[in-house]
Amino acid sequence: MKLIAAKSILKANDQLAVENRQRFDAAGVFCVNMVGSPGCGKTTLLEALFSHLRGSLRLAVIEGDIAGSIDAERMEALGVPVVQINTEGACHLDANMTASAVAQLDLTDVDLLIIENVGNLVCTAGFDLGEHLRIVVLGATEGDDKAVKYPAIFQGSNALVISKTDMLPYTNFSIPRITADMKRLAPDAPVFQVAALKREGTPKLAEWIAEEKTKR
Amino acid sequence: MHELAIVEALIEQVGTELDRAEQKGAVKRLEIAVGRLSGVHCDSLRFAFNLLSPGTIAEGAELSIREPSAISRCRQCGTSTEITEMVIDCPLCGSPEIAIEKGRELLLESIDIED
Ligand SMILES: Nc1nc2c(ncn2[C@@H]2O[C@H](COP(=O)(O)OP(=O)(O)OP(=O)(O)O)[C@@H](O)[C@H]2O)c(=O)[nH]1
Ligand SMILES: [Mg+2]
Ligand SMILES: [Zn+2]
Repeated sequence: MKLIAAKSILKANDQLAVENRQRFDAAGVFCVNMVGSPGCGKTTLLEALFSHLRGSLRLAVIEGDIAGSIDAERMEALGVPVVQINTEGACHLDANMTASAVAQLDLTDVDLLIIENVGNLVCTAGFDLGEHLRIVVLGATEGDDKAVKYPAIFQGSNALVISKTDMLPYTNFSIPRITADMKRLAPDAPVFQVAALKREGTPKLAEWIAEEKTKR
Repeated sequence: MHELAIVEALIEQVGTELDRAEQKGAVKRLEIAVGRLSGVHCDSLRFAFNLLSPGTIAEGAELSIREPSAISRCRQCGTSTEITEMVIDCPLCGSPEIAIEKGRELLLESIDIED
């Protein structure tokens, strides 16, 4: 006999993600999943966002890395509550890992939870963590063809952040090209340009995140 | 790596479906859909399935993979076209004003069970 299933292969993950989202909503926590390739500038961006938002929102961070706790230590140094997940080889976070990390946070002390996903443009695309927003970060040194080459991650994101824009003069990266590609894949997603080390463009992104939070 | 996680989830999902339908027969065939823009590689998926399925409920099952295309919808001429890879312009009128939809599916479509 033939059993018709017609369900997502990742249904178990998707269900857990729904539960995570319900937990966040019940606690009034707004959750952002930050994805991008290794070294695209996610942690530097987190540091900048924290400096802009600290007066108005209580931030907590979940750091997803294959190994080590370097990024978690960077956030801890700023006094941000942080939970490190080591995926031990896995190339992405999933909703189950997220749930265990969230269990270690006191959500009553948190307004904004940012999850720094494992550096990867492919594998992070399929796994809903229960976030409200997914932001994809792309470095100006990584090439403006990445949306075409890795469409899934861009298609499923709510915003594109082009990072390291101070490097633009040294590359052939075309902002109009990546913006046009993003528009095809995610018509409603805004595109931000930041140079997080210099805190350029980051206040605008922080403002947008805070504004999105008020919409939930 | 990623394909391994997907196959693990797939096998788990097959178990859930069989339990729900109270079926105990051997699984002969699985039909799944893997969208062309999903970023999931079908050969790696087959490889992972051969690696992980022995000793599970899916042991010996044939894995049949459908690869649904993405749809490009033109904002100028309104045409919807199936695309198998990212295109830059509308294949019909050449307008760059297109929206790309679908193509990210990862679905367990059906399970054939021995009677
Ligand atoms: N020029 C320039 N370099 C930057 C900028 N932001 C980050 N970097 C550099 O890029 C490198 C990687 O930055 P991280 O913030 O650690 O990147 P990441 O995405 O968190 O890296 P992983 O977590 O390892 O994937 C560091 O050497 C940063 O100093 C920027 O705005 N401009
Ligand atoms: Mg980092
Ligand atoms: Zn057209």
